[in-house]
Amino acid sequence: MLLNLIIAGLVLGSIYGLIALGYSLIYKASGLMSFVQGDIMTVGAYLGLTFYHILKLPFAVSFVLSIVSAFLIGMLLEKGVIRKLLSKNVMPIYVVLATIAISYIIQNGVMLGWGSITLYYPSVFSVTSVKVWAANVQPEALLCLGTALVCMVLLHFFMTKTKLGTAMRASAMDSMAAESCGINVSVSTGITWGLSAGLAAVGGMLLGPMYGVFPVLGATIGRKGFSGAVIGGYGNMYGSIVGGLLLGLTETLVAGYVSSVYKNLIAYIILLVFLFLKPTGIFNERAIQDV
Amino acid sequence: MDLANKLKDKKFILRIFAAVATLLLPLLLGGGEYTLLLVCIIEVYIIAVSGLDIVFGYCGQISLGHAAFYAIGAYGTAILHNTLGWPILLTMIVSASVSALIGALLAYPASKLVFHFLSLSTIAFGEIVYQFLIHSPNKITGDFNGLSSGRFAIFGYAFKSNAVWYYFGLFCVVVFLTAKYFLVHSKTGRAFTAIRENTHAANGMGINVRKYKVMAFATSAFYTAFAGAMFMHLAGYIHPDTFTQRQSVLFLTMLLFGGSGTLVGPILGVIAVEVLIEALRSFQDYQVFIYGILMLIVIVALPGGLFGGFRDLAIYGKHKMLKKKSGTPA
Repeated sequence: MLLNLIIAGLVLGSIYGLIALGYSLIYKASGLMSFVQGDIMTVGAYLGLTFYHILKLPFAVSFVLSIVSAFLIGMLLEKGVIRKLLSKNVMPIYVVLATIAISYIIQNGVMLGWGSITLYYPSVFSVTSVKVWAANVQPEALLCLGTALVCMVLLHFFMTKTKLGTAMRASAMDSMAAESCGINVSVSTGITWGLSAGLAAVGGMLLGPMYGVFPVLGATIGRKGFSGAVIGGYGNMYGSIVGGLLLGLTETLVAGYVSSVYKNLIAYIILLVFLFLKPTGIFNERAIQDV
Repeated sequence: MDLANKLKDKKFILRIFAAVATLLLPLLLGGGEYTLLLVCIIEVYIIAVSGLDIVFGYCGQISLGHAAFYAIGAYGTAILHNTLGWPILLTMIVSASVSALIGALLAYPASKLVFHFLSLSTIAFGEIVYQFLIHSPNKITGDFNGLSSGRFAIFGYAFKSNAVWYYFGLFCVVVFLTAKYFLVHSKTGRAFTAIRENTHAANGMGINVRKYKVMAFATSAFYTAFAGAMFMHLAGYIHPDTFTQRQSVLFLTMLLFGGSGTLVGPILGVIAVEVLIEALRSFQDYQVFIYGILMLIVIVALPGGLFGGFRDLAIYGKHKMLKKKSGTPA
């Protein structure tokens, strides 16, 4: 029981972690908060389903296609809406509202396109369960955990070791200075949003085979992802994954041992407690400015 | 001077006209019970959005969780009236005061957070309240069944029609807007604006930033909760789905649509958005889709809101007139 719960918690947590990673990336790169991350995850899951189930492509191919599409959506979003707003020098609240408006459009658009009933992926692997110590685990769950960890490591190396990653960090730190060093800030911010959207799509593709796909799949997860990001330290890559995993574990354990009624409540209470008492999170990320 | 006086007179006459027109509105709309209900809802929203305006438009503090205060007002008055049997008007005021207290309790630790993280904490607060509404201890909020209240009555006078309710709503709007007018033109209001413009400078001038932020949140919570209580007694029935984050976003949309930090802005915004939503009702499944797209277009194209747009237009017109008068080329 406990082992099963822990694995379920880690799986859910790794999805939160992927979403939180996207938030951190965007915040680090542009100092903005995107409220559309969860819904891009929904789109990723639906696209994956379309490629895999309806077009009958292999899972790996649909996986990549879905991520690439999400990447393009993310970039388009930044170029078409966010950049336009920022260049107008509007109040930051408009950027928040714009992402919320887009999330409405996605939620409703997905419903119009694919219908409001829950759709299910055909199973990805031929075996239905794998034995991990004493527990029987869905192979999809292991795939989910593994991919999330790989994503975190890859992203870390991408951000610290590659030229593009360094350029992205530079433009986040001081866009004017970065520009004068010859970095194309517009492109690098666009890539950041694209990457975050891609990460969300990864989450969607991993969650879809286990939970099924429905239009508000990402809405709640997107909101709880904030909790994961804040627990770890908003803007910190490792913090996001660790925070996400911790949140997933807490939630599943509370649901398993106390009552599933408090599952959602606990995530938001943790968010409030961390914001009030330790806004810099476990990893003490100094991105959050205090007055 | 002469011209200015005339202009003043004109404005004065216009205002009287407007006042009379609003008073006669229920008669003008005739038997349209539905339209009347809509106007009543607009009155409720005007108070709620004006409340949000105090904290966002004047004090510059974002809130994406005002639906929670709206819920506290609505559920508070219903629960107090249904279980303890207190007079309705008293329960409305008590629940709004409780909401103000909760707002202050939330704002005290939240006041050190800026923008994005403040919005996150208000979202979390809104979600916590919503979770409480759908899974309450002893089912005090009726969970997913919602709550209903008896016939609305004040001082023993039962409200039989929406037309009567309309006048009650109008009275509340006038009271709350007048109070807001005096608040924002007082020392407190100026402190709010100072905090909005530059928190550090305000702090340097000796303004107790935390105290005023807490005050702004509490006042705002009172307004919105009172509007929630009004909504309860207008609709007669409430369901948790009214109090999701979408409602908070709706308040904010209305405020920004009309123009924040003004007295007229919330009124314009509420009317415009409410009429728009009604117009979209016939699109059924596509309603939210179109609403989202329109919202996006307005945000990208008209970031100053309707009021800001009008003001810009007026300034532009004035410039042209002045140019014509002085005869100097642009």
